[in-house]
Amino acid sequence: MSNLEKYNGVFVKVFNVDESCLNADFLAETVEKWDSITQMSLINQLEDCFEIMFEIDDIINFTSYEGGKEILKNYSVDI
Amino acid sequence: MFIELEKREKEKIAAIDTAGREVTYGGIIEFAEKWKEKIGERCMILIIASNSIGSLTGYLSCMINKDVPLMVGSGIKKDALAHLVDTYHPKYLWMPEGMEYEGAEKIWSEQGYCLVGTRLEQYPMFEELSLLLTTSGSTGSPKLVRHSYGNLEAQARNISAFFELTEADRPLVSLPMQYTMGISSINSHLYVGATLLLTDESMLSPIFWKFVSEQKASSITGVPYSFEMMYRLRIYNKKFPDLNLLTQGGGKLSRDIQVKFAEYIQQNGGRYIATYGQTEGSARMAYLPAEYAISKCGSIGKAIPNGKLYLVDDDGNMIENADTKGEMVYEGPNVTLGYAECGEDLIKGDENHGKLYTGDIAYKDEDGMFYIAGRKKRFLKLFGHRVSLDECEQLIKSEYAIECACTGDDKKLRIYLTDEKYQKLVKDYVLDHTELYADAIEVNILENIPKSEAGKILYSQL
Repeated sequence: MSNLEKYNGVFVKVFNVDESCLNADFLAETVEKWDSITQMSLINQLEDCFEIMFEIDDIINFTSYEGGKEILKNYSVDI
Repeated sequence: MFIELEKREKEKIAAIDTAGREVTYGGIIEFAEKWKEKIGERCMILIIASNSIGSLTGYLSCMINKDVPLMVGSGIKKDALAHLVDTYHPKYLWMPEGMEYEGAEKIWSEQGYCLVGTRLEQYPMFEELSLLLTTSGSTGSPKLVRHSYGNLEAQARNISAFFELTEADRPLVSLPMQYTMGISSINSHLYVGATLLLTDESMLSPIFWKFVSEQKASSITGVPYSFEMMYRLRIYNKKFPDLNLLTQGGGKLSRDIQVKFAEYIQQNGGRYIATYGQTEGSARMAYLPAEYAISKCGSIGKAIPNGKLYLVDDDGNMIENADTKGEMVYEGPNVTLGYAECGEDLIKGDENHGKLYTGDIAYKDEDGMFYIAGRKKRFLKLFGHRVSLDECEQLIKSEYAIECACTGDDKKLRIYLTDEKYQKLVKDYVLDHTELYADAIEVNILENIPKSEAGKILYSQL
């Protein structure tokens, strides 16, 4: 499974959405179910999936689908 | 006056919120006088609560003037709100500016909140009825818990006593106001003249932690989920010199996390206090004294001041022996009056008479400290919300004519169906009609739902 597939899989599971919804408009501000609980769940599952551990600031700033890909680069995960 | 608010220093700041608003103790009383002019006769007011000055002053004005607030959160679904209004006929709604309620007329706005009239005919209300809170934060059930004035006075007095609160305290109030722990935190701190730090920000917001440190918060109160989040954020590596009290309620926290935060706050010269409570008992009924936070981690401790806690067996006989399980019963002045399920119930008096069967199975140790072992009633606690499994089944069955059974634990709600066609439909429907999350719901398909000969679902076999 590619990193993109894994990354998308986590979003699909956490937000109960279709993969086709995942694009540059998938943001904390626009997605109704994106709140502190789903964000934390997203973080937990990405940590397990890529075997990394996020810094506090990255957890707090993980607020969009595209932005998350950039954050993961800091942990040597290329999507 | 309500919790002796008139005895507090007038100039002292009673609350500050993250929008930058503040109110003094004197300001609360002045606001309540203006409120009285707008509202007139005693009536019911539905408050769409938030942790803000506008919401707080509306709530306190109700208490001071003996209007009866029905408190719900701002995340309430439109149809659930309409259903509550239809069921209980509040005369007014007090809600955040910018929110609308169809057909309601705007009367007044102040402090980011506005008052709208519904023109609905009032149901008669019991004269000691003070406050209505929902039993469930998530299934949208209209069932309410009826509180008396005595309940709230006892709550303020007894909770401030065992937490040893003082007027120097600056508690962070981040649990929602419409939630029993949130309102008890407000009442108990105002009773001692402290300064509330109100916020609706999430722990994942930088504003949250900036508010804690800039406003010199002296305590944080959370449910297990709050502490799990703080653990994940490794807050124990951060220094908050003014923080001296952590209190936890709303279900069981894992041992590792409790010990970590108990050690953290003790290094700061502070205390960690675990508590046990329910909406039906006006929040807290038991607490674990700070000196046992680590040595008796996992225990809910003993009854709060002026309360009594004991165990009974299946025949209702009191259990005296240590390490013997039974249903936990609480007696005290904070036991609420009972429930309301329709407008006609608002006139009802005290149905509980100070005694509450908690539905929790517990045992006590040699020192008389209690430990929860399980639950008699069928409900889960997910993210601090109580989720009734029977209500979930009803919710699904009211939409789809299918067989279903709900079970789960405090991590996940498990729904069992027999028809695969409905797997996604049911999940989407439950997500749309509750405040639950996709991750917390699992829908399984079975050939048959196990039932007894009498047709009762055998949940133990699921």
